[in-house]
Amino acid sequence: MTDLVERFVHHEARLLDERRYDEWTALFLSDARYWVPVAPDQPGPEAGPSHFHDDIQVLKARCHRLANPRAFGAEPAPRTAHVVSGVVWEEGEAGEIIVSSSQIMLEYRNRGGFEADQRIFGGRVTHRLRQAEGAWRIAYKRIDLINAEGPFNAMLAPL
Amino acid sequence: MATQLRESNRPNPAALVRPDAVHRSVYTDPDIFQLEMERIFGRAWMYLAHQSEMKEPGDYVVRHIGSQAVILTRGKEGEVSAIFNRCTHRGATLCAFDKGSAPHGHQCPYHGWMFNADGTLRFVSWPKNYDGVLDKKDFAIQQVRLEEYRGFLFGNLRGDAAPPLVEFLGHMKSSIDDLVDRSPAGELECGQYVLRHYYRANWKMTFENLNDTIHPGFAHSASVVSAKAVANEVGGPGAIVPTLGMMLANGKPIQFFQDLDMVTAPGGHSYIGGHMGADYSPDTGDGYTRSLIEYHGAEKAREVLSVDRHLTLLYPSSFWHARYQTIRIIRPVRHDLTEMIGFVFRLKGAPEETYRNAIEYCTGANSAASPVISDDLEIYERCLLGNQSDAREWIPTSRGLHEDREQTNSFTRMPATSEAYIRNQFAAWADYMGQA
Repeated sequence: MTDLVERFVHHEARLLDERRYDEWTALFLSDARYWVPVAPDQPGPEAGPSHFHDDIQVLKARCHRLANPRAFGAEPAPRTAHVVSGVVWEEGEAGEIIVSSSQIMLEYRNRGGFEADQRIFGGRVTHRLRQAEGAWRIAYKRIDLINAEGPFNAMLAPL
Repeated sequence: MATQLRESNRPNPAALVRPDAVHRSVYTDPDIFQLEMERIFGRAWMYLAHQSEMKEPGDYVVRHIGSQAVILTRGKEGEVSAIFNRCTHRGATLCAFDKGSAPHGHQCPYHGWMFNADGTLRFVSWPKNYDGVLDKKDFAIQQVRLEEYRGFLFGNLRGDAAPPLVEFLGHMKSSIDDLVDRSPAGELECGQYVLRHYYRANWKMTFENLNDTIHPGFAHSASVVSAKAVANEVGGPGAIVPTLGMMLANGKPIQFFQDLDMVTAPGGHSYIGGHMGADYSPDTGDGYTRSLIEYHGAEKAREVLSVDRHLTLLYPSSFWHARYQTIRIIRPVRHDLTEMIGFVFRLKGAPEETYRNAIEYCTGANSAASPVISDDLEIYERCLLGNQSDAREWIPTSRGLHEDREQTNSFTRMPATSEAYIRNQFAAWADYMGQA
């Protein structure tokens, strides 16, 4: 099981890095939520605004946009490399499992080649996974960035 | 040209603004930025905080007036004071966090000097060294003049020389009323979680973009296309979530905005008419409308709900979105670096759904990850990069120059497609900057 969970989290990160966004959004259940809070102590997305608080519609629209050359914030497109480490899991409710990992995402957009073009995002990632049609899918993904309070420059690539 | 644009070593602001154009250096010149800090941010009334952010005595927030950090603290008597975030001894900042509680006062971490909320120096460590040397009265932290309008606290670095806040607000008071009157208890509460984004370009870019109704069809076209694609997948525009609705709204035909009104007022302020139509209600069950009628009475409630403004720009501090209870404030850091902070307000007495809608709007509109703002940030930065080129010195601000619809003493009305709000901002800019 531990192997399977680790493979899942690495696979998801790989899909993002290879910009296989259709396959990535297909990992999410139709009632899934993708949440990036603005503070480490934010109790929930209803307590205040978030960096990302996406349902499957917003997630799909976001990824669809990235394929459009007129999404200027992604011209040129961001390249990312995820480093995934410390994957642990426990059983959740109703057959779900809760996975926790440490992740760092390097992001690069070539806008002249100076140092500000490369950024580092990192923190604790929590997945809630549920089985559907014989495969593990994402019911919930939460990313607690260590610099959650920001401020952030434009974030186009999903974390 | 060079001698016209600068007087000795300082920029000559009067030479940088024309009735239909502005010189590119207002975005790119660090000396201009320095002068803006003194002459604009050193003079204008700046929206800083809402009373509800400091609930108990000792509660404080740190905000910026231009590049000056200011602490707003609720004192023991209940009143809020603003002081600079700087110890009068060695100059260390007193507050390291942007909010917190200091019920016993602000203590400097360096030598322990202790200041009251109003800046008076309560004690110095090892006072006998200072016997006959230091009078504590001389080392109070300077206060920033505060005035309140309906719970909103504004600061002014000019102190007593500044005109009253209501005079500064003028016609724009009505946009603040629009926000407060929407509460079915006549009261707002500022949410404790805020959104911050930044961009590597000049602060004025945001003021010149947020009421620009021509750019969405171009800069945000990808958002329109993608929202449509998902809408088709889920069964049409009726089935989409509000964030996708916001993306789609960028695709409105330009004629829609030509028919809509823009209003400019002295001081660089402006707003444009709403997009949603006057029948917008911030919850689905009409509980909100009912509670508003209960509080205001039917006639006044109808009047409140009939106000339809998309976004009010209060120059040079803030951006007010009454219908989604969102305020953004601007912090110019350098000529080429700007931070934006977004607040969401709860309308006391309104259904919880109203607050959730406002949160969703603020997330969609003000996050650095917003499918809309993220493209704007890119455009701001490209404008800075482009304007560093001296291939052309003047930037036209002439769109809709002769299309005014109405002129009164307190405001001017024109089509929402006009760049009149930019011309109006630069009229205020030249006025502030022209006074030595």
